[in-house]
Order: sequence, then structure tokens, then C-alpha cells
Amino acid sequence: MFKVLKKIFQYPRVTQGYPKNPIDSSLFIGKPVIVETNCTKCGVCIDRCPSAAISYDSDSGIPVINLNDCIFCTLCEEVCPTGAATMTTEFELAYEELGKRVEKKIKKIFGRSLHIREVDAGSCNGCDYEINALNNPFNDIERFGIHFVASPRHADMLLVTGTGTRNMELALLKTYEATPDPKLVVAVGACACSGGIFRDTYATRDGIGSLVPVDVWIPGCPPRPQAILHGILKAIEKK
Amino acid sequence: MRIQDLQGKMEEQFRNHIIGSSPLRNELYLEVDSSGIKEICSSLESEFGCSLISLFAMDERENKGHFTIYYAFAERSAGLLIVLTVTVDPSQGIFPSISTKIPAAALYEREIQDLFGLHPLGHPGGKRLVFHGNWPENCRPLRRDFPLSSRPAFADEKMEFSTINGEGVFEIPVGPVHAGIIEPGHFRFSLAGEPILNLEAQLYFVHRGIEKLSEGKSIEKGFYISERISGDETFTNSLAYCQSIEKIAGIKVPDRAEYTRVLFAELERLTSHLGDLAGVCLDVAYGFAAYQIRMIRGWSYRVADELCGMRFLRSVNKPGGIRRDFVAGKEESLIALLKEIKKELEDTVDIVMHNSQFIDRVENTGILSNRIAVDLNASGPGGRASGIPYDVRKSFPYAAYGSLDFQVPVQNDGDVSSRVKVKVAECFQSISLMIQVIETMPTGEIKTELGMLAPYQFAFGLTESPRGENVHFIMTGENQTLLRYKVRTPSFCNWPALCHAVKGNIVPDFPLINKSFNLSYAGNDL
Repeated sequence: MFKVLKKIFQYPRVTQGYPKNPIDSSLFIGKPVIVETNCTKCGVCIDRCPSAAISYDSDSGIPVINLNDCIFCTLCEEVCPTGAATMTTEFELAYEELGKRVEKKIKKIFGRSLHIREVDAGSCNGCDYEINALNNPFNDIERFGIHFVASPRHADMLLVTGTGTRNMELALLKTYEATPDPKLVVAVGACACSGGIFRDTYATRDGIGSLVPVDVWIPGCPPRPQAILHGILKAIEKK
Repeated sequence: MRIQDLQGKMEEQFRNHIIGSSPLRNELYLEVDSSGIKEICSSLESEFGCSLISLFAMDERENKGHFTIYYAFAERSAGLLIVLTVTVDPSQGIFPSISTKIPAAALYEREIQDLFGLHPLGHPGGKRLVFHGNWPENCRPLRRDFPLSSRPAFADEKMEFSTINGEGVFEIPVGPVHAGIIEPGHFRFSLAGEPILNLEAQLYFVHRGIEKLSEGKSIEKGFYISERISGDETFTNSLAYCQSIEKIAGIKVPDRAEYTRVLFAELERLTSHLGDLAGVCLDVAYGFAAYQIRMIRGWSYRVADELCGMRFLRSVNKPGGIRRDFVAGKEESLIALLKEIKKELEDTVDIVMHNSQFIDRVENTGILSNRIAVDLNASGPGGRASGIPYDVRKSFPYAAYGSLDFQVPVQNDGDVSSRVKVKVAECFQSISLMIQVIETMPTGEIKTELGMLAPYQFAFGLTESPRGENVHFIMTGENQTLLRYKVRTPSFCNWPALCHAVKGNIVPDFPLINKSFNLSYAGNDL
């Protein structure tokens, strides 16, 4: 008992202050960008990108990166001959589905507390481990009144990872149906956003967007726990 | 035993059945006729002490006019790999099942049946494995004439489960969407009262078609697919991939890269084991220990961030070496962090292992007997807790493991407690290995050019992932592409072992037993 108490006093609080206090992201590998001024439009990054996330912009002719497809593999940075493609440390990449603003009122209702059901619809388990990490002492998501629940019947939000495999389709739809209205759906990770590297096979869908209506997309492969937290808070507009 | 001795013995004993044989490095390739395969396999297992580590098919109708089935056996004391090949006539589409002699083969044969439409003759139970009721008959994705992006129509067939009849026997269906934040899988328990009589696991909910997807992809893209087979085994999967490619290319990876690979592989093991230990503590409602270990796990992620900025160690490896010099200039801070982790883990383990309530829950729970573990080729901590002293790092040394000092912890009771003890001991071994690597790492180059790979060459890559033995097989196609990529992760072998380990236990102990194995669904389903 004495040893337990000693540990409790030794580490009274390890929870990070994010998002109230910014987190030191200098070591993180975040969003890739292509700097227009350095780009020679040689197209190497487009050819080599393993998830086909880069394409020429139809207006400017400069390669642009679609973050939904990107698997953050850093290859574009490595192969770019002029150093135009670089990885930044920006990790808060979640964005909302356009035209969904009308649901602001719902978000207000959820504002006080939010119950989440996680569904893995065909991920590699990377995203699931990062969602799990939201419960660890560093992130401690419960301090926002956000809880992960065991049943969709108790949930306000579905946090979906994975491409939406054929074998999970029915289970995902049933889970969605079982979640009471009003509800929110958040797609976590490149697979859920677009199918990522597993796009277009006989067993997968191109992301979960074709199965259930998605409110917020969180790119990343996998997104960091703080990036997922940022996405969840964005969905309920809780700052 | 040397590979030539084995070759001589095999050729003498089975001269009627062996069509051709060729040794290569520590590997022996035998072409066998299908009437003798059952006999040869069972003799390899019983007389030569080999274990079946992979069994897969390949569609070679285009260039050779037949299907080929590969049987890979490992002789673990001498580190030999024996690969038997049998041809299958496409017009008949049948091959002899060896499952009645070698139980571990049963799942592989069902997999071949689903993905290739070849029928294992004499298989004790030919139920579908990969495909659920929503797949039509005659969907054979790994045949080369099946287009990758075709989406067959949905069928509506009911999946049958093995049932147990008797007074008071009932079933509990669980999943695929579970209560916790884990991957999907369906479990069908049959019970009488509290104890579990039988558990049937229906997996493959996250089947993404990885093997088909890799077909015809460039070597470079294949690497990124290998990293995404199973998230928390990213590095060891990518390492097995690189190993096979490097064997085919015939290149030697620079020493500094080999040492760095050990560092990353051990960091992955440490992180994964800490997660499992925290999970076991949480499942016995031991909150203090669970959060304490989660905190330590957070620190191990910090080591990952310091090293490469990627928590899952992605984009670190590459065929031919490593991407960048990740260690230079960080030696001291890394060692300080690792020592801190070691100290804290020692303190925490001391508290946990002296807690009688914890011991009470984990001892004699979920026993996997040595006999079943051997029969099913259970590997990794799951096998080592049941008295199988096998570790790929010792039997088939790769990267820099051959020149490093470490022990393989083994326990004999096969219960949750044994698995916890093995994992705790491995955590300390991993920390010691990482410190050794940082201290003794040679300077120099970190990558070698791969060069052009010859087509139709193949090689096996074997690594020890946190969950056990990882077997990857690659055959190259033309223009730097993959013709066939077969992945067999440890979870594939350990899932059936888990189903045996829960028998006789109560349902509330299932999560605990499950966590003590912590198998990957994604790594199994591909």
C-alpha cells in the first residue's frame, strides 16, 4: 500500500493541457505541403505516391495533396528533387463536411457531455490504438465529459475507423441504425476518409462516406490522439 | 543438422515422391508429387521435428499451366527452412489435405479453398473461412484472372456455427462490434452454466484483400502496404518485407542500419507488451496498475517521437536499409529515457506481482497446454508461456540479433500469469537490447541501393513480431513488381490456440485471456 501511495504522490498529474495549452509538436510528422515557388511540376511525387494522393491542380498546374488520401508516408519529401514537397508539424487536420452547419443546435445539446461508440470498419488497428490512447493518463478525454460507451444505443457519436470492408458493411449500418438520433459520425484516418492505401479492392469501399453520412473527417495514418481529440471537439464545437 | 544432411536423408527416404530438390542458403526446396505430400509432411513433423509455418497456393496457370502449393516447414534448432511444392491440375482443382496429420494446416487449407477455389481432399471440416455469407460462390480473388476492383454481388447465406446440444446448454453471441475499443470479430460461446464448453471465432471482418492488392504493385508501394497489415506490428511486418526483398536482390544491408532496425523492432515490442500488460490489469479492474503502465507506455511513445516523429514507426524502414540516420546525436537522451522507463517498470511490476487479488485472477486462468500449443504452432509469448522455447531472433537471426546478447524467457504453465511473466521479462530484455544497440552501434552507411530485381525470384522473410513469428513470402514479377505476396502473421496461428485456452473458463475471464494473447484481427484477416 505504501508503494502505491508513493507512486500516487510521485506522479500526481501527467495529463497534458492540450488543447487549452498548445502542445510541443516540433518532433511530430504532420501535414505534407508542396511549396509552389520551388515546384518544377516534374511529377515525380505524383508517380511515386503510394496512395495516389497527389494530382495536378487543374488551374495552376501545381501538384496538390489530397489529405483524405494521404498516408503521411513522407515519400514525396524524400523523392522531390527541389525540396518543394515537405512535411510540416501541423497535425490538427480535422475538417467538417460542408453544408452541415445547420446542425449547430444539436452540437449545443451535446456540448455538456458526449458519449462515443467506436467502430472499426476495417482498419489496420493503428487508428484504434490511437483512439484508445485518448483514455490514457496523458490525454484523459473524460475531463471534457466525453465517454466511450459499450453500446451504440448509449452513444451520441460514432467514431469510425477503417475503409468499410465488405464483411463489416452490415455491422456498420446496423450500428448506425442502433444509434439514437440526433447523432454525429466522425471518420478517423486515411482509410475511413478515402480508403487510403486499401482503396478499390474487391473487399473494401473507398472510405465509409459511401455507407453512412459523415460529419467530420480526420485525416492521418494514423492521426495522433491529439488530432483525434481536436476532431471530436470540432464536431461538437466545444472549445 | 546441416541442410545437405537433411537433403540426403529426405531424398533417400522418399525417393519415389521427390521430383527435384535444391538447397539454397539455409533453405531446402523440394518438388514433390501430390500422392506423397501427406506422408512427407507428417514425417517432417514427427521424425525431423519440423513445424509447419506457412502453407499457401499460387496461381501459375499463365506461365506453367498449373497451381502450385507451397508447404513451408521450419527446423528450429538448426535454423533450417524446408519448402515443399506440389502442383495442382487446374482442370481437377483438388489437392490432398494434410490436416488430419498436421492440425495446424487446417486453417491454411480453408484459406486456399476460399481464395483459390481449390478443394482440400479429405479436410475434416471445410467451412468457409475468409468469406462470410455475403459472398457469392465462385468468388476466387487470388486467381490471376480475377480483377482487383471487381465487386461481386451480395449473397445472403447464413453462416453456420458448430453447436453443442444438451440440457441447459446455451449460446452467447458476441460481436463483431465489441464493447471496448478493439477490432471486429464475432465470438460464439457455448456454455452450460458459467464455464465455456466451446468457443468458435468468426474473423475476417477486416479482410481488405491485401494479398490481391499487392499483386502487380511496385516493390516500393508493396512496402507501404506491408506497413499497414497490422498497425501495432508495423515495423516487424515491414522488416519481414524488406528481408525478403533484400534476399532476392542479394544485397547486404549496412551494419548501422541493421542495428537501427533492432532498436525499432524492440521499441515496438516494448510498446506493444506494455499495452497488453495495462490491458490485463484493466480487465481485472486494477486501475492503479493499468494507468501506471499506460503512463510508461506513453513514455515509450515519446522514445518513438524522439527517434522518428512517428508513433507507429512508419516510414522508417526501406528495402536496402533505413530512411535516415535516426539515432545520431540522440544517444544520451534516448538512454536516459530508457533507463527511466526501466526503473518505473521495475517499481510497478514489483507492486503488481505482489498483489494477491491480481495473482488470484491470473493464475490458472486460460491454460493453453503445451500439446495444443505445439500442434497449432502457437508462437510468440503465447507459445513461450506454454513451454515452446522458440524465438525467430534466436533460430533465424536477422538484422543485428546474431551479435547481441539477450535471453528468451520461457514459462511452462500456459496460463494468463505465465503470459504476463513472459511479457514482463521480454519488456526488460527489449530495454536492455535497445541500450546495447545504442551503445555498440557502428558508424557508417545506412542504406544500400537495391538495384534491379530479377523476375520470378522468391524468398521468405522471417521476423519476430511482438506477437510471435512472422512469415512473409515474396515472388517478384517483371519490372520491379510483386507477383505474389503471402503474409502469415503470428495471429493466424494463435487465434485457434486462444479458442482452446478459454475452454472451461468463465465468460467474464474471456476478455482477460484474450488480452493476455492480444492477437491482431487485422493481421489475421489481411
